[in-house]
Amino acid sequence: MKFEQLFEKAKAKGIEDIQIHLEKIQEVDFNVFNSELDKHQIADTQFLSIKGIYKGKMGKMTTEEINDANQDGWIEAIIDSAKAVESEDAVFIYEGDTSYKEIPELSQSYLDTLSHEDKLNLTFELEKKTKALDDRVKISQAFFGETTKQVTIKNSKGLDLQKEVTNAVLGVDVVVRNENDSRNAFDYVQTNDPADFDVDALSSAVVERAVSMLGAKSLKSGKYNILLENRASATLLQGFLGMFKAESVQKGMSKLQGKLMTSIASENVTLIDDPFMLKSTKSGSFDDEGVATSYKKLIDNGQLTTYLYDLKTAKKDGVASTGNAFSGTIAATNIYFEPGKNDFETMLKELKDGLFITSVQGVHSGTNPISGDFSLQASGYLIKDGEIERPIALFTIAGNYLDWLSNIVDLGNDIKFTFSYFGSPTLRIDQVAVSGE
Amino acid sequence: MIEKGLMERIINKALDSAADFAEIFVEKTFRSSIMMQSSKIENAVNQEKFGIGIRVAKGHQSVYGYTNKKDEKSLMQLAEDLSSSFSGSRVKDMIELPDAKKGENHKIKRMPDSVDIKEKVSVVKTANDAARAYNDEIKQVNISYMDSVQNVWIASSENIHVHDQRVHTRLGIHSVAKNDKDMQSGFNGPGAHMGFEFYDMIDVAAAAQEASRVAVTMLHADECPSETMPVVIDNGFGGVIFHEACGHSLEATSVAKNASVFSGKKNEKIGSELVNAVDDGTIENAWGSQNFDDEGRPQQRRQLIKDGVLTSYMIDHLNGIRMGEASTGSGRRESYRFAPTSRMSNTYIENGDSTFDEIIANTQYGLYAKKMGGGSVQPSTGDFNFAVMEGYMIRDGKIAEPVKGATLVGTGSEALKKIDMIADNLDRAQGMCGSLSGAIPTDVGQPTIRISGITVGGRKGNA
Repeated sequence: MKFEQLFEKAKAKGIEDIQIHLEKIQEVDFNVFNSELDKHQIADTQFLSIKGIYKGKMGKMTTEEINDANQDGWIEAIIDSAKAVESEDAVFIYEGDTSYKEIPELSQSYLDTLSHEDKLNLTFELEKKTKALDDRVKISQAFFGETTKQVTIKNSKGLDLQKEVTNAVLGVDVVVRNENDSRNAFDYVQTNDPADFDVDALSSAVVERAVSMLGAKSLKSGKYNILLENRASATLLQGFLGMFKAESVQKGMSKLQGKLMTSIASENVTLIDDPFMLKSTKSGSFDDEGVATSYKKLIDNGQLTTYLYDLKTAKKDGVASTGNAFSGTIAATNIYFEPGKNDFETMLKELKDGLFITSVQGVHSGTNPISGDFSLQASGYLIKDGEIERPIALFTIAGNYLDWLSNIVDLGNDIKFTFSYFGSPTLRIDQVAVSGE
Repeated sequence: MIEKGLMERIINKALDSAADFAEIFVEKTFRSSIMMQSSKIENAVNQEKFGIGIRVAKGHQSVYGYTNKKDEKSLMQLAEDLSSSFSGSRVKDMIELPDAKKGENHKIKRMPDSVDIKEKVSVVKTANDAARAYNDEIKQVNISYMDSVQNVWIASSENIHVHDQRVHTRLGIHSVAKNDKDMQSGFNGPGAHMGFEFYDMIDVAAAAQEASRVAVTMLHADECPSETMPVVIDNGFGGVIFHEACGHSLEATSVAKNASVFSGKKNEKIGSELVNAVDDGTIENAWGSQNFDDEGRPQQRRQLIKDGVLTSYMIDHLNGIRMGEASTGSGRRESYRFAPTSRMSNTYIENGDSTFDEIIANTQYGLYAKKMGGGSVQPSTGDFNFAVMEGYMIRDGKIAEPVKGATLVGTGSEALKKIDMIADNLDRAQGMCGSLSGAIPTDVGQPTIRISGITVGGRKGNA
């Protein structure tokens, strides 16, 4: 691609500054179902997005037909797009930071030590072992996916950045049945290090998770003290990330407006955004605007210390961008609650009586990221005297996320991340409204 | 886009092994979107998508590859790589493709690319002004305008060769109402398989005010109580309950793997006798319609449930082989980046004999869910959850005070049996449905229905 030529042509047409963002992605995925290779997918794609400042407004376009012959059309599209914009917010093409952290581990492909055959065999083995663990496993489906992503950012101010991330996921879905009930569960490992693929641990965890839910019934409505399992808590955090985005705050769409440097959570709560975390596809030393990323605490021992910023919102608040501009919006990198000291067993004993919630459903519809209110379908176990008494399902938990943050009694040491790299340890929250029978 | 001869060569190359099925899907999509926030156009973005997906199968086992490259060498190499998954000698004769059939059931009067951006912006402004004018409590309005023209060319070894053009138009209005105590939002998003003529057919200002009305009503609503009670779900987007709780479990994607509560239940009674349900991808210019599905077969009208009895699943080609049944023309995908699987189109419960007024008058106590939000379901168990965007209590056969924060929780198969009244006011509404093969436009729909008892979760605690 002749980007220098594009930059020159753009300048000649009156575009003051211009930036390209090119992504090349190679993917391999497969699914094993009933001891057969059920799905096998390979992909090789490129995606180019271009933005340019024309008469003080930002014009944008994206294309997958990446061919120098189309350059004139792209420039026209940028100008048309800029002409339609009315917003008077200042816009930026960034000249770059003085230094960017080197993270060579991200692109090192430890995965290459496995051949294609090895990866297939691993997936077949996972499916087979999962199925063999228990007669009640009626369906097991194992999946493997590997992605290599290269990102290039160049602009007319001389910025020229590149990064490459390789990662893979190995996971398994099960459906278990007895005469009266059917339950499902899944679990997975995301990594760039084949040593993390522990087939035995994965298969037994997922079967245990599903089988122990057989016969789950609702419970009496009321207020309960709960343990919210790590992955359920991470899922909930994902639903409320919007509250922390400077854009929502500035537009009056977040209840965290005006709350900087005040207490918004229990003292034991620290929320971290870490762009340098290893083994994550979300990691990298720069964001989509070319700003150097940084490790930061959004909540530090209960106190709200910063919002997530891109260049535009940072300018409005008179602060520096936190390097969180991704995919045309503001996003977190690897965001998680800092783990505490207690292991899960200790937390269970200390809870004594209450609920252990292992899953929340419907986060995309049952949460209101503006008000913080939520009402979600949940499932898990009833706890009596620090022991699991029976599985429970078909009930809802409701509350307000900011109230919950203030009511976190304890955080465990068992952090887990979702597919989108939201992380949490198991949380203890008291006096939660539960609606069941 | 890709000439017929090359399509043939690719398919024949892909069949140069023990594979017995090969398909090529070529897509070129142009999408334009406009975003207005704080009464100013923030963004106007044009997006071009182009790519090619090749699928090769033996029986129900398949491999899929996709790329943005369109040169013969790259595509033949991809076909060969995919084909090599099925080692063995060739089983299919050389394929000759018929001439491409072009879909013509959904006429477009004003193609989006022929409309000046100023006209599009004026629709956005009309909506913004109307939403803000609703009342003083509306503090923020976001308008999103979208049009998209997707051209697809699909050819396969099943003697299929088609060209379809899908034109989608949609306007999203998101209103936020705020006072010193609370903030609530409302959304309305009308759309169709139409061009810009869509805006001559709808009242843009009224659609925008509807989003504001919901936000303001909910701002003054009390918390919903938590308990099991009768729930009246209104027509239109209320159909999302059937879409999530039953529709997904009737897709071959889960049925064929015996992973659905409705696997093996064909010709059995799965719901109340009042229930008749349809998935119809042929409705003229409807949001979820197509001329051909994404495997190149004509879209169809499928009677899913007749008098409470399961009469048809929604089936794509490969899951059909697994099930020993023919495709129902239900193979869909978001784009070339996804292999197709069985998906819904325009799915709705048919009219019953009651009226809306009779249903309310016959309900002593319960919840009236006037507007539903989204929801999700676990196909293996049918467990579902839905958010109620706008709800009211029903007391003594009358609609009473508004309530917010309600979630409906249940099991699809149970809820279907508990439908005890269906009105005569069928309406459809537009949504984006996400599943294995990506996010696709689908209509949900129903007349007003009553479910005799369902768990309602709210924040007020027990009534």
